Amino acid sequence: MQKPIPVPAPGSQVHWHLDAPYSLRHLLIIAAILIVLILTGQRTEMDKMVMMTTEAAGKLLGVADDSQVVRGLSRVATSMWPPVLGETEEISRLPEFKRDQLPILSRIEVQERVEQRMNTETLQLEPHSESVEVLVKPVGYVVSVFIKMIETLEIALWGTIIAVILSAPLAYFAARNYSPNQASYTAARGFISLLRSAPELIVALFLVLAYGFGPIAGVLALGLHAAGFLGKFYAEDIENADKKPQEALEAIGAGKLKTLWYGVVPQVLPQYIAYTAYILDRNLRMATVIGLVGAGGIGQELKGRFDMFQYGHVMTILIAIFIFVFILDQLSARIRNKLI
Amino acid sequence: MIHFDNLGKAWPDGTKALSDISLHIPRGQFCVILGPSGAGKSTLLRAVNGLMHPTQGQVRIDGTALTHATQKQLRRRIAMIHQHFNLTSRLSVAANVLSGLLPVVSTPRALTGWFRSEHRRKACGLLQRVGLAPTHLKRRAGDLSGGQQQRVGIARAFMLDPEVVLADEPVASLDPKISRDILTLIRDAAREHNTTVLCSLHQIDLAREFGDRIVGMRDGKIVFDGTPAEFTDERVSALYHGAHWEDPPKKAEPEAAGFELAHV
Ligand SMILES: Nc1ncnc2c1ncn2[C@@H]1O[C@H](COP(=O)(O)OP(=O)(O)OP(=O)(O)O)[C@@H](O)[C@H]1O
Ligand SMILES: [Mg+2]
Repeated sequence: MQKPIPVPAPGSQVHWHLDAPYSLRHLLIIAAILIVLILTGQRTEMDKMVMMTTEAAGKLLGVADDSQVVRGLSRVATSMWPPVLGETEEISRLPEFKRDQLPILSRIEVQERVEQRMNTETLQLEPHSESVEVLVKPVGYVVSVFIKMIETLEIALWGTIIAVILSAPLAYFAARNYSPNQASYTAARGFISLLRSAPELIVALFLVLAYGFGPIAGVLALGLHAAGFLGKFYAEDIENADKKPQEALEAIGAGKLKTLWYGVVPQVLPQYIAYTAYILDRNLRMATVIGLVGAGGIGQELKGRFDMFQYGHVMTILIAIFIFVFILDQLSARIRNKLI
Repeated sequence: MIHFDNLGKAWPDGTKALSDISLHIPRGQFCVILGPSGAGKSTLLRAVNGLMHPTQGQVRIDGTALTHATQKQLRRRIAMIHQHFNLTSRLSVAANVLSGLLPVVSTPRALTGWFRSEHRRKACGLLQRVGLAPTHLKRRAGDLSGGQQQRVGIARAFMLDPEVVLADEPVASLDPKISRDILTLIRDAAREHNTTVLCSLHQIDLAREFGDRIVGMRDGKIVFDGTPAEFTDERVSALYHGAHWEDPPKKAEPEAAGFELAHV
């Protein structure tokens, strides 16, 4: 038997009530948000973006005649395809070339080359063919991209190592319950904010001036920024860690450092590993970009090829970056599962 | 051994957790503190090792007053067993027991976990003593049952051969059978080392069974102090349900004095 839901008897007084879900205040808030969106949208040319994108969609569907976006993209796409795999070098330009010791996966070819030359008698340009010996490496460019990629990986790795090393003491001083005094706490927090507020690319720009082109600037730029990030999150974990084991160790007078090591670090280790893996992951992606300002790695190669309009090479690099990031994602997920 | 001299504690919010507590616990005594929730039992125990600093009076251990200056030295002689075990749950049982040595182990040794072999032997011996098996050594402390975790807590507490053991409701989250086992363990281990035990409890029967002496607290004051035999049912109900402390049940002064005379 189901009982009927008790309803207040007709005529009985109800002393409390539920308000309508929306009020004038909500309307005002919505109006304010709309105004902000319209103002900022105009300044960032969002209206133009919508127009151009619609035009592009129209062009793809065959409705519109022309679209600047589609034209631009297809121009890039056609010049980027196919990706460049091999390299050819003129043997006469290779200083230490030994004919009996060819590098692996390479062969010598004779190529016909047609050049326009000035005929000294007629003062006319005449086609002039010539045969040159070249060394063909069918996957030569892939190999050199691979080597650059390894360098990028190393930059990311060392950036992470430096970040961990720097952030550990930083976190100790930036954790309110471990920092020796208010001054050290404020200083550590300030330093962390400073590190976090400086974008890697801009830091790298300055470090290239100090250390010259190459990986040192890249490693330091990545390491400093990530140290700020890790320092902040490590410190917050220390502050929020379960107080019970810490109290047990404090009660016998174990001292701060030992208490931290035995009462806190084991408890927060899974999060530490997760943050560090995130930083490694982020550093790998940043390491590909940081070369744009000359701080080593694949980015430097990318920038060079881009500036020389060699879009086929650029395509190879982009594919390589994608593959590396993908593999790293798989690996880091697997390692994380094992450790936690 | 432990002297409380007119101890008082007023929290910043005005709560008077302890007022004018004077008590002497002689060496080797198993003293049980009873009292309703909020009576100030934990506060009293935490005054002994300086986890709480009194706003009035002082605590003396063997004549040394507990101050910020003496606290570091005194704490090594005072172990604590906690209601929630307070183990580092992701650390192994062995590491948890060894962490009881941290005050006397050098920092490099502590950070690398490279404890002396006699220390490792001692940890194993204590774990055996509290009834754990060698298979438990490498297990994460958090994976053990509550009773087993408290055994680990006891082993950790006895690593430094403490002169005083503070046990704040050590069996509050355990079943009756295991509670009895755990208290037996604490009492026997304490007797072997002539350790003074200050133990707060909520179970009257266990207090009567294990205590050499029972101290009843209510609203931050001592309202009973005597032997288990003197802690009659009327006094129990006076302690827990009786009128407010302004209307105190018969306070057992002579026994307290007796203890004072027995040991100085
Ligand atoms: N940090 C604090 N700030 C303010 N008041 C506190 C604080 N800690 C404890 N108190 C108060 O002090 C009084 C005594 O608390 P205490 O924890 O010593 O009681 P207890 O006898 O151990 O109780 P229980 O049996 O529930 O553990 C209580 O009124 C409590 O609210
Ligand atoms: Mg308590």
